[in-house]
Amino acid sequence: MLPENLEWKFPSSAEEAVELLRRPGAMLHGGGTRILKTNPKGVKLLIDVGALGLGYINYIDNAFYIGSDVTFSEIVKYSKKENKIALLGEALSNAASTPLRNRITIGGSLKDFPIWSSLYAPLIALKARVEILKDKPEIYSVEDYVLKGVIKTKHVIRHVIIDDEENLICGVKRFSVLRFEYPVFTIAAALKINGQTIKDARLVITGVKKRFKRFIKAENALKGQPLGDLPLEGALRHINPVFIPDYKFSARYKESTARVYFSDLLNELTEQIKGDDENEDSVQH
Amino acid sequence: MKIPFNINSRIKELEVKPNETLLSALRNNGYTEVKCGCSEGECGACLVLMDEKPVNSCQVLAMSVRDKKVKTVKGIGTLYLPHQIQKAFVKAGADQCGFCSPGMIIASYSILKETENKPTKEDITRGLDGNLCRCTGYVKILEAVENAAKTSLTEETKAPEAVCTNM
Repeated sequence: MLPENLEWKFPSSAEEAVELLRRPGAMLHGGGTRILKTNPKGVKLLIDVGALGLGYINYIDNAFYIGSDVTFSEIVKYSKKENKIALLGEALSNAASTPLRNRITIGGSLKDFPIWSSLYAPLIALKARVEILKDKPEIYSVEDYVLKGVIKTKHVIRHVIIDDEENLICGVKRFSVLRFEYPVFTIAAALKINGQTIKDARLVITGVKKRFKRFIKAENALKGQPLGDLPLEGALRHINPVFIPDYKFSARYKESTARVYFSDLLNELTEQIKGDDENEDSVQH
Repeated sequence: MKIPFNINSRIKELEVKPNETLLSALRNNGYTEVKCGCSEGECGACLVLMDEKPVNSCQVLAMSVRDKKVKTVKGIGTLYLPHQIQKAFVKAGADQCGFCSPGMIIASYSILKETENKPTKEDITRGLDGNLCRCTGYVKILEAVENAAKTSLTEETKAPEAVCTNM
């Protein structure tokens, strides 16, 4: 329970927010959904980020800059309207519920990283970076942000940066018992195409024991392979996520299901690539 | 402490604790049309519009609502001057115990606004994904939203805001 003598501050610049964050018991407040769900202990000061001007989605030099105060709903809406960052838009359109998506911000969700997060898998598949402000601005890949422990430090997230890559085919799937339930896991795949071969591949899962996992061996099995003859079975052999069992599913069941989901997703993506090729052929003819 | 809020197009000073949710602040200040269900953001009974977007008021800290416009179900329509969504709910028999109705109506209002009164079935089910009803089985609720959509939003009842006598 948050204390009754809780103090609130409404800074108007990120630098001011960083300064306030140094005070003991200080915590940032974006949408506030996680604070109310988790009731963190020892909070004495809430610093509202609403006036920092971080509610933007900008497109600069072939990259998207998504301010940390942008809600999931706003990202979904932007994605549909502009037909851009579709992978992220699709993943977030299924996160939580409409009223919660209107409050959950990308910055808050990045900082908290709940195990059911629908955000991390697409961001890692898209090689997203995060710019934070501590003493000075710092940029990390989303992977390093977690793996190097930056996530645990006190900082203000300015924005998430996603390059607008060409020839990138990607998809996302989530496994949940009911459509509107928290996902057991979320998987994302991004395949970079160069001519008739796979130039780069990214296969990511969240909801696993160590929060997220990239399947680098499986990615390597796909890289450099011709589109017409992708060694999907070879790649799927390296899909080996480690889960925590819960009251619904054993770890082994989740692992098997994840492999099936990756198989389906990769098959869908290769079908999509073939479809695109056929369309191009028909246009040329 | 007393904080000014814009509720149903009126500026009201509400007595609010720094750790209080918007749901609690509203109900403690007489806006009891906002229902308290699960308090976890799962059931949608406490839905209000914040800057025209539906939010779970149990998942919003009241202090963070400064400079935002809040609308409760009474800001949409009243007993004597109901909105067409409310009329459609009554006509379709879309409420039984009525506890979820304020939240359902807020969500429906937002769906019709977002889709300019032309929602698909998918828009309606997605828009109501944060609302639970334990009585009706949803069929009549979906029917009510479809029926309300047939009436143009240009006929929106602006009057209730002016005649809203709650507080």
